[in-house]
Amino acid sequence: MRIFNSTSINFLRYRKIAYGVSLAILLAGFVSLAVKGLNYGIDFRGGSEVVIRFEKDVPVGEVRSVLRDAGVSGTLKQYGLDRSFLLSTVFSGETNDLKLLITSALNARMKDAPHEIVRIDAVGPSIASDLKWSAVKAMVAALLAILLYVGIRFELKFAAAGVVAIFHDVLIVLGLFSLLGGVFDVMPLEMDQSIIAAFLTIAGYSITDTVVVYDRIRERIRNQKPSEYERIFNESMNQTLSRTIITSGTTLLTVFVLFLFAGPAIRGFAFAVFAGILIGTYSSIFVAAPLVFDWLRLSKTPVRLRGSSKS
Amino acid sequence: MSSMKNKRFNLLLIAVVTLVALWSLWPTWRDYSFSRQLSSLSSQQDSLNYTLSHRNEIEDARQKSLKLGLDLKGGMHLVMEVDQVDLFSEKAWNRDARFDSLMAAVAQEARTSDADVVDLLTAAFKKDNIRLSRYFYDIRNTDSEIQGKLRNEAGDALVRAREIIRNRIDQYGVAEPMITTQGNRKIIIELPGVSDENRMRNLLKGTAKLEFRLLREPDALIRTLDRINSAMAAGTIAAASTGKQSISPLYDLVSVSPGGSAVIDARNRDLVSALLRDAAVRDLLPPDSEMLISARPETGNDALSYHDLYLVKKTPELTGGVITEAKATFGSQGVQPEVLMSMNSEGTSKWARITGANIGKRVAIVLDGAVYSAPVVQSKIPNGNSVINGIQSLEEAKDLEIVLKAGALPAPVRIIEERTVGPSLGADYIRAGFQSMIWGFSAVVIFMIIYYRTAGLAADTALVLNVLIVLSVLAGFNASLSLPGIAGIVLTMGMAVDANVLIYERIREEIADGRTVTAAVTQGYDRAFSSILDSHVTTLAAAFLLYTYGIGPIQGFAVTLMIGTAASLFTSIVVTREIFQFLLSRNKMTAKSFG
Repeated sequence: MRIFNSTSINFLRYRKIAYGVSLAILLAGFVSLAVKGLNYGIDFRGGSEVVIRFEKDVPVGEVRSVLRDAGVSGTLKQYGLDRSFLLSTVFSGETNDLKLLITSALNARMKDAPHEIVRIDAVGPSIASDLKWSAVKAMVAALLAILLYVGIRFELKFAAAGVVAIFHDVLIVLGLFSLLGGVFDVMPLEMDQSIIAAFLTIAGYSITDTVVVYDRIRERIRNQKPSEYERIFNESMNQTLSRTIITSGTTLLTVFVLFLFAGPAIRGFAFAVFAGILIGTYSSIFVAAPLVFDWLRLSKTPVRLRGSSKS
Repeated sequence: MSSMKNKRFNLLLIAVVTLVALWSLWPTWRDYSFSRQLSSLSSQQDSLNYTLSHRNEIEDARQKSLKLGLDLKGGMHLVMEVDQVDLFSEKAWNRDARFDSLMAAVAQEARTSDADVVDLLTAAFKKDNIRLSRYFYDIRNTDSEIQGKLRNEAGDALVRAREIIRNRIDQYGVAEPMITTQGNRKIIIELPGVSDENRMRNLLKGTAKLEFRLLREPDALIRTLDRINSAMAAGTIAAASTGKQSISPLYDLVSVSPGGSAVIDARNRDLVSALLRDAAVRDLLPPDSEMLISARPETGNDALSYHDLYLVKKTPELTGGVITEAKATFGSQGVQPEVLMSMNSEGTSKWARITGANIGKRVAIVLDGAVYSAPVVQSKIPNGNSVINGIQSLEEAKDLEIVLKAGALPAPVRIIEERTVGPSLGADYIRAGFQSMIWGFSAVVIFMIIYYRTAGLAADTALVLNVLIVLSVLAGFNASLSLPGIAGIVLTMGMAVDANVLIYERIREEIADGRTVTAAVTQGYDRAFSSILDSHVTTLAAAFLLYTYGIGPIQGFAVTLMIGTAASLFTSIVVTREIFQFLLSRNKMTAKSFG
């Protein structure tokens, strides 16, 4: 079976539009980050979360008022599990007291709907600040490592454009999280450790598609005149289009399965990776390669290449 | 690459890897079939007999099988922190108000950041131009010497705290707990399958500092209460108030009986203890004295609960370090639980001297600042025995026994992070994880067969081996499988076939260029290798950094992603290639084989 057989799309012709679209989306994300900010989970802001599951459906308003009357501060939302609610409140190292407060209030006022506390997460402020720093350090280290590696494997212009593409992918997903944070009850899209894992996965994966395109360009651009570059770039992208799409496709399949089946704890992560891979596929064709092309065009020197893939 | 010798080596390698993976997962399979077997037996007697006759095998299988993470099995993940500020304050000499306020500021800072407490302390002292040696160790020590000493102190305290907590957990009886230290003040505790988390938290939390303290005379207590009352009425203490103006604000909270004992209503307990923490109130107490509240409320004649209020000497007569044995039992009437304690020889002789010198007086038994009982000394106790009563349930007595046996912590520890998953949610997670694995696997396998036919089948075979390798490495290294770990495996399935996609697309191109299948296969593998390597290295790097910086649950994801990515270099390239070589040698491959 073949899906993208012998296409001849003039990708470079659309690059200005693509740059514009990318910048617009990035800008929207930045504005949202500045205005609305991110919906931080307790990993990064500290606090306690309690998941309460009832044996039958109960209205969220009722639970809310019972807990409020009992003096439990915090917000109560539907949780992505059946008949379950998520209570977010301030950090307390004394989880016992919190549990007692919740349990006695619900037992007293909602006797006909037995409940069970199925999960408790409590993160103190010092741990939260520690996690925040770890996340920042991991992101920076990952980007440096990838930059270094791609820099060794490809010449500078390729490597730099590849890393720009990674930033592009991760920042767009970050913007999406800010824009859509708290919009959906099924997935609140909170920033927590799992989202950092998603970002690192996106960063690692983003380069995959890019490298596939780069490899082909590098193979064909050898000893060619700069006037031929545009043709070579376009042909290379068309030749590799099928594998770019299929490699992303198989991974998207599995991430989609995670989104559907793996439950609410993984949902935000799966959403981030799914979006990241989609954007990464687009950026490898419309951002990374065109940037190299423009750079070559402006610098007017023929490429000197390293890392021959001729064997 | 395709010389005879090389081919043999590759085949051997594949065989060895597969066998090792299967061997490593064998106990997991055994463990699973044993539990199936046990659940199929109907009567309890049958299953008991079966367990007894296969005990060694069952134990062995369980030990070596693939463990499920806390989130799947249900359990607690706790991070506790040794209160270094308290530890250093205890070590300081000639403490004064200035020192206390400095330490309070340091404590505040330490609570919200992850900075080193010794550094915070030094910075705070520097800002006030005080040398550390004014309060710590020896006046001749330089600041950096004292810093080093404090750091050692903190390190020792952490190790001791870990051992004591391990003791408590072992005494309580948790299967396979994990207790490790991190940095210089954190203890990480993993407790799989704990059913009574409330009790566990209480057990871990207490410092278990046991003290025997003499009570002050009743009239001293009454005089002290009067002093506090008049200060409150005069408004010099702005602490607790019942919300109404009154001429005797303290006596709205505390009632004194003619016998010279004071009680407080259980509902006002927090108010009163806040009041007693107030520095202005503490200044009104007689020298070397402290006001303490009883640990447990008692029911009065009017059916309300009351706590006793005690005025005790600040300096303990004896501390819990001398306790060698503790035993929870029922008291003489057989209804009240109590804990019997015996002491070492040093404690025994001291105890005999203390009790002999204080006949007719009361000695308070204080645990972590709360008074359990304050019995009157009837006679000299020569054998080093003592009893704690005032306990509400046998369970509580048992927990006291555990903490007393394990010994006192060098400094208070606090829970600063907790992640607890109940068993029912764990079961949900297992189902969800299993479903994602099945669906993810099926989706990828079917897609590959549709798109690449025979070659797709080869990639699918490699994928099975890949998943086997990930699970077997986890089992072999005694790592556990968590829900994020399962997510990592599912994600890896999608990524592992990517290598095959790159190779097959290249092979299709070569065939389209008119090469023979054999030549195309060789070319395809050689030409696609560089981009495969690049993508694997970048994913590995990202996963490795995630593992290095990640904490708790996320590390499970990083681990499976790393193993899966590394394994995929082998399965997607070596294994599929060997399959093709075999098929080619039998002339079973045509241009059609790549879809």
